[in-house]
Amino acid sequence: MKIKSSQTVAGFTLSEMLVSVSLSSIVLAAAITSGVTLQKSFAAVDNYFSTQMQQIRIIDYLNRDVKRGLVVTTSVDLQSVTMSVPKYIIQAGDPEAIADPETIGMARTPTVAYTTSGWQVNYSPSTTTVVYSISGNSILRTENGVITTIASSTDQLVPKSTDVELANTEYANTSVTFMPIFSSSGSVASRSGTSLYATAYLRNKRRG
Amino acid sequence: MRISGRSFEHGNVLLCVLCTILVVSLIGGNVLLNCMTRYNVASSQVRSWKESLDAAETGGDIAYAEIRKTILDPTHAFSGWTHSGGVYSNSAVTYGNDSLTTSGKVDLFYYDSNGNPWYRIRTKGTAPVLGLKRVGMDDRMGPNNRGDSLLRKIDFNYDHFVATYGPNGDGLNKALVPVSRPQVTRRVELVAAPITPFEAAIKAGGTFYGLGSAAYVDSFRSTTGPYNASVKTNPSDPRYVDSRVGTVQINTSVGTIMGNIYGNFYTNGGTVTKNTTSITGIIDNNVPFTLAPFLMPDTSDWSYIPNPTAVTGNTTITPPAAGSATNPNYYLLTSFVTNGNLTVNPYVSNGTAQETYVAIHVTGDVGSNTGQGATITVPAHVHLQVYFDGNFGAKAENIINTSGYAGNLQFYGISPTDPTVQQTVNLNSGGSSSAGFSAVFYAPSANFTINGSPDITGAIVCKNFYSNGNVHWHYDRALDGQGDAVDYRVISYVEDIR
Repeated sequence: MKIKSSQTVAGFTLSEMLVSVSLSSIVLAAAITSGVTLQKSFAAVDNYFSTQMQQIRIIDYLNRDVKRGLVVTTSVDLQSVTMSVPKYIIQAGDPEAIADPETIGMARTPTVAYTTSGWQVNYSPSTTTVVYSISGNSILRTENGVITTIASSTDQLVPKSTDVELANTEYANTSVTFMPIFSSSGSVASRSGTSLYATAYLRNKRRG
Repeated sequence: MRISGRSFEHGNVLLCVLCTILVVSLIGGNVLLNCMTRYNVASSQVRSWKESLDAAETGGDIAYAEIRKTILDPTHAFSGWTHSGGVYSNSAVTYGNDSLTTSGKVDLFYYDSNGNPWYRIRTKGTAPVLGLKRVGMDDRMGPNNRGDSLLRKIDFNYDHFVATYGPNGDGLNKALVPVSRPQVTRRVELVAAPITPFEAAIKAGGTFYGLGSAAYVDSFRSTTGPYNASVKTNPSDPRYVDSRVGTVQINTSVGTIMGNIYGNFYTNGGTVTKNTTSITGIIDNNVPFTLAPFLMPDTSDWSYIPNPTAVTGNTTITPPAAGSATNPNYYLLTSFVTNGNLTVNPYVSNGTAQETYVAIHVTGDVGSNTGQGATITVPAHVHLQVYFDGNFGAKAENIINTSGYAGNLQFYGISPTDPTVQQTVNLNSGGSSSAGFSAVFYAPSANFTINGSPDITGAIVCKNFYSNGNVHWHYDRALDGQGDAVDYRVISYVEDIR
């Protein structure tokens, strides 16, 4: 009884099999597609947040250096920024450090000099040059030859800076954009929608 | 049997659904975790990093206000601050809804050639870091880089600065100092420099009228050579750049310009009248400024030389020592009669005249605008500062500064304490005489009047300026760093990014 009954219930006709396999394939394909899409979407969101943090970091780095800068120069294509900042900290190789290695990392005492431009405060006869530049997908900060990658993203981060000279000082306008990876069209609007702007004034009187 | 079979089929579907939900949830949860971490950085750590700089700069403002008081309100300067080892310190100030704290140290680190002190301000600002107690996801970006932590140094458990560089950043007294809660501290160092009085040829807090249709104001720099009238019209001359900085600045809207100004002209809301084409520089009618009353410098450490005590007739001062800009020979004169004649000689050592510094406080008027007026003679090598409480009256030709450098003869009009009293500085060249003088006047409360056609090298700061003569006024750019401090400005800013 049981065997007979079981054989009757367990059997599938060919048509049933075809229909069920077809339906299963469709459902499975839909599930896999949804999963992949969701993962892509999540990855894009994750990437967007990550790149936004890098935008903020670029701006913060630039503003910090502009505020303490003595002069800021932007390249013609607005892709790199060069600034000189006071040499406040004694670094390895400096005359003070050679004379006394213990002074490495210590702050200098300011000196005062009268020039044809008026009184000037100096921390060292020379200044430190800081350069912000783009290298591939990375934004580099170079200080005295030491390179620091301050941002790196596949989202094509592009900082642009302009410096505006005033009577005694200047300020730097900076915007940073990127192309979100979930935007397949690559439209201008997709990039401009990510713009982050900042304005920083030199606290020091401009030199040069 | 059928029920059992259905039950098995339902369980299979449920398992598939649960697995799918689990996978999607894991992905979503991971994304949410990442987003939360980054949100934590953006909302808490970035904010605290920016706010801590705001706090540090606020501390700089507080210290700067105290430094200004050393000129404008000396009795209350650094009141409530502790003074030890030449350094003023204040206790931490907490302000704002985010409980930002700031504290600072001020030390006098330099005296310039005028004897004016320069101050260094070192402040720190601290902002608490709210949110998750963890670094951001971008803490490490590469094998040699530290991403966020390289920029924003957060003290989660210990003050990294004190541990690495010591509390004063000089490598001394390093210690592990726990912090009560996560925080960001940023430090800035500012230098407050004295503002000297003579940064323009003529500066008037009130109205300006002058100088005469054939008059002019131009400039030169005595450190690059003597004045030459032809330079200002010769662009190929290397001194040309210094010849058109005879700036006139007034703090009202009323300026009647006569003659030529080889420099800029600034007013406060004015419309410059008459001959604007004769102004070679910028005309800016939106440059307000304030001239604080000039108070007598603190004389508590002035050791007066007993004689003379008055200028009556011909009076000669021969100082017993050369003195210095920071410690000149001090004299107190209770009167300077109308036709008084004062000569200040240099100190002579081994037959050679020394650079001699003299400061005189006249507690009344200096001469008068009637009769001959005062005569003041300053030979070469003498650097004389005259502080007068009353009015000043003299003929331009009787102010004799042999060196020709205006910075060697400085007059300071002490502002009257009674607001109804109007101080005056009255100079008359004496008929047709074109003889002039080399001197500077800082008298922000005085009405300044000059007649005739003298040839003047110097600068003037006054209340109202009036001139109806064809004065030739040469501003010496070397004066922009000369004279007693009348205020302070911050001229250097650097952040300690360690």
